[in-house]
Amino acid sequence: MFELLSDMWGFAFMRRAFVVTSVLSASVAPVGAFLVLRRLSLAGEAMAHAITPGIVIGFVTAGLSVMSLLIGGLIAGVGVAAITALLARRTILRSDASLASLYLIALAAGIFILSAAGSAVPLKSFLFGSILGIDDASLLLVGGVASVTLVAFAFLLRPLIVSTCDPVFFESQVRRPWLVEQGFMLLLVLNLLAAFKTLGTLMAVGLMILPATAARYWANTITMQLALTFAFALLSCWIGLTLSYVFPETPSGPAIVLVAGGFFVVSALIGPLGFGGRLRKSPKPEQKKTAQTPIEESYQ
Amino acid sequence: MGTVLQLRNVALGFSGLSLFRQLSLDIDAGTTLAVLGANGSGKSTFVKMMLGLQPLLAGRMTWPKGRPREIGYLAQMTEFDRRFPIRVRDLAAMGAWRGLGLLRGLDRAGRLRVDAALEEAGVLDIADRPLHTLSGGQLQRTLFARVILQDAPLILLDEPFAAVDQTTEAHLLGIIARWRSEGRSVVLVIHDLSSVLDHCSHALLLGNGVAAHGAVDEVLTPERLVAQSYMSQSQAAWMFRRPETAPTQALEMGDV
Repeated sequence: MFELLSDMWGFAFMRRAFVVTSVLSASVAPVGAFLVLRRLSLAGEAMAHAITPGIVIGFVTAGLSVMSLLIGGLIAGVGVAAITALLARRTILRSDASLASLYLIALAAGIFILSAAGSAVPLKSFLFGSILGIDDASLLLVGGVASVTLVAFAFLLRPLIVSTCDPVFFESQVRRPWLVEQGFMLLLVLNLLAAFKTLGTLMAVGLMILPATAARYWANTITMQLALTFAFALLSCWIGLTLSYVFPETPSGPAIVLVAGGFFVVSALIGPLGFGGRLRKSPKPEQKKTAQTPIEESYQ
Repeated sequence: MGTVLQLRNVALGFSGLSLFRQLSLDIDAGTTLAVLGANGSGKSTFVKMMLGLQPLLAGRMTWPKGRPREIGYLAQMTEFDRRFPIRVRDLAAMGAWRGLGLLRGLDRAGRLRVDAALEEAGVLDIADRPLHTLSGGQLQRTLFARVILQDAPLILLDEPFAAVDQTTEAHLLGIIARWRSEGRSVVLVIHDLSSVLDHCSHALLLGNGVAAHGAVDEVLTPERLVAQSYMSQSQAAWMFRRPETAPTQALEMGDV
């Protein structure tokens, strides 16, 4: 085991991969936590697909540089978010159906353009990520996005908590409630782009959602939710990267997301807010009764 | 005292649907205004108008002393996320966040204020419980604590007693009475006529495109309640069957 780890640390690309995914975990954790809490888990997945044509067009026209990826992805992501909002507001479609329609078009367009351009980048690494592809520019991208995200969250945390928990109250409190929503969507797109190289377009959102849903089974406060989401994301990255080193043919994205999936399954089974909590509570009716106040009893 | 809010010839509704027209009223400091009406008559829309969330179709809404920085608001719980991971104490403290800005935390005095509000609302003993374990009444008490912490001169409560038992309702009505005695204006969307008679100074009855406003006993007449589809002819005949002693006694026996 020790030999394996020391071998792994001998490779610069592995050291880079560990650093970049650790920073990425800190960045995607708050975004993922609020995606789940705001009931936007599937919208996050859709948005991950929706940025594909932007990345592909950026890649085909300017090569696989960080700037082309960032600009192309941002245009596609913000464009899809804006058209989704427009369709939901001005037509009969709700936002979930609008987003689903647009991301399917975007994903198909992205893969079509990538294949038609006869790209030199293997489709597999594009879709599922590659730890070999992490260069200095990628490190800077992830570091930059993480810095922007964490600073933005320091300011957005309270508005996000209020708008998620009690949206009508939030609207009554601020003049431009949409700013928080749009700001959060922008952070989502930025983080998906940052996660793209390591995890690929199909798996990028996995590192956001699965640690957050796993944490949901343990957390009763928002602080605990954020801390646990980060811890699960970080451990998923470290264990996933080690797995993809041990099995060299496996792409890093699915390995990391699979480990995160493991945390989710275990949490659902034994977490106090999952099946575990329900099993522990149900066989003790007497104890439950003594713990209740008269007001609670009147609601049973 | 003075007037907090003035409405002049206000029409409210949505594109293609007018809820009511020509409403003029003043909300003075220290008044408690009950807003009544059948479903869909525009009660919540009226409250949202005061918050600036619903544009007027016509007329003018003015704040003679300037719009208060803080307007206390308790919404219907339709969009409230009861599974959100937050404790009772932190949910109530949201009422004080506006004064703190985005980054500053609660100081000792602020924490004491939160505790006092929780105590007044009767939920201090469950202050550290997560939201998803609360009953409907406990949640509503916590939301009242949040309104207390908003410390606002104008307080809007949209069906605050919809999901609570009578003990809780009586407790919360006591808090509303305290607000009134402090000179705060309270606007209350409510269905229970006996509570309106006991606790409100003015009433606004919405229905059938009409908005009737005035002192409670002027507005809540059987003829008007029937005309504005608030109750049927037979319900009104039963409720107001003894005109000399009636509304109060009859209404205590049963509600609408």
